[in-house]
Amino acid sequence: MKTLLMAAAALLAAAAAAPASAGEPPPRDAAEREVVGRFLLMDVNGRPVTDQAFAGKIRLMTFGYTYCPDICPTVLNTLAETLDKLGPDRDKVATVFISVDPERDTPAHLRDYLTSFPGITGLTGTPEQIAATAYNLKARYQKQPAANGDPAAYSVDHTASIYIMDRAGNFLARLAHISPSDHVVDRVRSYLHSDRPGSRP
Amino acid sequence: MNRRAFIAALAAAGLARPASAARAAQGLTIHSAPRPLPALDIRDGNGASAGLDGLRGQAVLLNLWASWCLPCVAELPALDRLKPKAEAMGVRVVALSLDRGGKVAVVNTYARLGIKTLDIRTDEARAAAEKLGASVLPVTLLLDSQGREVARYVGAAEWEGPVAARLLDALAAGRPLTPDMAPPLAKLTGPAP
Repeated sequence: MKTLLMAAAALLAAAAAAPASAGEPPPRDAAEREVVGRFLLMDVNGRPVTDQAFAGKIRLMTFGYTYCPDICPTVLNTLAETLDKLGPDRDKVATVFISVDPERDTPAHLRDYLTSFPGITGLTGTPEQIAATAYNLKARYQKQPAANGDPAAYSVDHTASIYIMDRAGNFLARLAHISPSDHVVDRVRSYLHSDRPGSRP
Repeated sequence: MNRRAFIAALAAAGLARPASAARAAQGLTIHSAPRPLPALDIRDGNGASAGLDGLRGQAVLLNLWASWCLPCVAELPALDRLKPKAEAMGVRVVALSLDRGGKVAVVNTYARLGIKTLDIRTDEARAAAEKLGASVLPVTLLLDSQGREVARYVGAAEWEGPVAARLLDALAAGRPLTPDMAPPLAKLTGPAP
């Protein structure tokens, strides 16, 4: 019984720590806990979507935002290139871009933006949904006010890694955002083959 | 919490670090030795090859941009105004779009901005960002008359100021570039969403 109570207390503590809003110090358990690919977000049509929507596919996931004020990462370029190089295997992969800027990245705006990157699924959500997703993936983001004081021109520092999750949404790897597409392709292929025992590359 | 403390706290907590570190790298980097440029498949508005080999013998300002990159788009009008002035100084100006959709995005962006002098140049193989090691945009490469990269500028620069003029003058003359020739970062007016 005592054990059960302690487990319950631990769960409560974890729940209390869960809504890690941007800017708060990271919870103490961050180094120990697992990266979890669970999320409830909103697609570019404003409909709710969970990680279950990608069941059966290897997932490539990255965080970002579209209003980069001074320089923009080319990570979506890398992911689009990765999909091209995967050829027929691209259908076995879901490539997901999660906005860390729900204020400006509305579903409609995200949809327009991602026409430049066919095959990449854009997700946004409420600030709480995005915070919970980032917490699960152990990603961080923080709004930075613009130097010119324009409240609409803020930037958002964010974890820029490329996450690879398995067909059930479990964490496999985190690659640097500057990884060459060939490297990402190799990793994805290795997972595509390794999680199907009996199949030969 | 300031940014440095925030990043330190993340590192201590074993969390992935935000991308802010990239911001510190903005501005001009002069290479200790010229770097040969990898082969790029650059096309013009008709789909014909328009590689940099055709510009051999002249210094080149090679700007990498994309229509989805707001600061890149914000920088284009300045490059458009710069082009005739720079070319009179002996520096060719090439704006290379990394848009995956090819020239359509370029045509639309040029039309929207009223671009007059920049030519349509697209990255046919969609490999330029990786080949040139451009993990962020905009990036501008400064090439000597042998087509070698002697310096690169990360972020949007004030290309029309007196400092940039000295930089381009030295580049055209094949003189060594020095840090005092680094143009300041452009103060981009926030493009309308």
